[in-house]
Amino acid sequence: MTEITDDIEAVVEDTDLPRRLKEDVYDTIEAREGVDTENANYIAKAVEAQYKGSRVDPLDPVGTVSAQSIGEPGTQMTMNTFHYAGVAEIDVTQGLPRLIELVDARKNPDTPMMTVHLEDEYATNRERAHEVVWNIEATKILALGDISTNVADMIVSIDLNEDTLAERWPTVESTTEIAGEIADTVQDNLGVQVTQNGTVIEFGPEEPSYRELLQLVEQLREITFKGIEDISRVVIRKEETEEGEEFVLYTEGSAFKKTLKIEGVDASRTTCNNIHEVHKTLGIEAAREAIIDETMTTLEEQGLDDVNIRHLMLVADIMTNDGTIQSIGRHGISGNKDSVLARAAFEVTVNHLLDAAIYGEADDLDGVIENVIVGKPVRLGTGDVDLRMGTTSD
Amino acid sequence: MVDESQHELVPDHTVLPEDEVEDVLEEYDVERTSLPKIKRRDPALPDDAEIGDVVKVVRDSRTTDEAIVYRLVIE
Repeated sequence: MTEITDDIEAVVEDTDLPRRLKEDVYDTIEAREGVDTENANYIAKAVEAQYKGSRVDPLDPVGTVSAQSIGEPGTQMTMNTFHYAGVAEIDVTQGLPRLIELVDARKNPDTPMMTVHLEDEYATNRERAHEVVWNIEATKILALGDISTNVADMIVSIDLNEDTLAERWPTVESTTEIAGEIADTVQDNLGVQVTQNGTVIEFGPEEPSYRELLQLVEQLREITFKGIEDISRVVIRKEETEEGEEFVLYTEGSAFKKTLKIEGVDASRTTCNNIHEVHKTLGIEAAREAIIDETMTTLEEQGLDDVNIRHLMLVADIMTNDGTIQSIGRHGISGNKDSVLARAAFEVTVNHLLDAAIYGEADDLDGVIENVIVGKPVRLGTGDVDLRMGTTSD
Repeated sequence: MVDESQHELVPDHTVLPEDEVEDVLEEYDVERTSLPKIKRRDPALPDDAEIGDVVKVVRDSRTTDEAIVYRLVIE
């Protein structure tokens, strides 16, 4: 153990290191025996030299390096989607398909899901946590009772299960009242006269018709009585945190905006794997964070966590640069390049050249691809540095 | 009402005073329109932001302690 003296602090603070690296230097010195000010100075200078040496040089093609640094590990990813490989028996798309989905900025991901954190007592009490579950998970008629179809009288009758009703509507006193609400919902959705008797609900088609009767039953199954339509399943899990244990909900299907408004949901930690929903609900900066988080977890799950986060940050920066989420590829970033030749070199060459000819576009030959095509030195790295002899510097 | 700015994923957004905007543009040697953009309807934008304003975003960076970026408010 070495104590950080004022002298040591002075030599470390004197370097150009960012805050976090300075903290690391302090921690390292503190953990070692007998470091004097001179040693500390060496350490600080060595770290600074290493830091400066590993920074990006001017004219470095960072985009190309990022593309390769993500692309190569991408070749090692599994081509297949493994099911039920995610958390808590919820099926999430992983590996290459998920990465493609992210960089393509697909409007609807294959397996939308949310991680819902809870507030206060909702997070610690299983009963309260369940209240939130019932407010999120879509409740269909099959979960509430038995449906029987009486063909002779042309009547559909639903025998609601009182225990289930009391469980899913914990705030309502009597089960008859809940049954009344359900009857109203059925009437509004199907447009038929519904009669209620205790917890038994009956209805039938206006004109006796076998086909219509079956159709009504079909429609009845689709109605959402409670919760959010898009969320088909919610799984509760107890998780360890720094402050103890808490209940966390995982949902199949997503409705980020609606979920954040539900009582008991912690609107500061709940997340969603659909970057477009995050964008709509929390804005472009949050979407950028979400892209980085999602791409990084996708790589980590495949054991490719040695991809530097800076590459993913660059991708996310570019995707969110214009205030909306743009995909990488023909319909997004690559399709919006200024240079005709760069666009033509990517995909659908003839269309781009034809359009460019029609509109009389010019190409400034600034980019990499354009210069490769015309055989000029690419204006990157040493290619952008000119040497002149015989001139004097002032 | 959900307060977007309280979410973990949302960094601080503040409208940058006009004189500081000049300094920023000078420092980076860019035009105002070359800055990254943010839509006026963006949920995380402060209420007093108008089109043409520059918003200062202070991110909790993964690689250094803080990263400051600027976005131009558009349409």
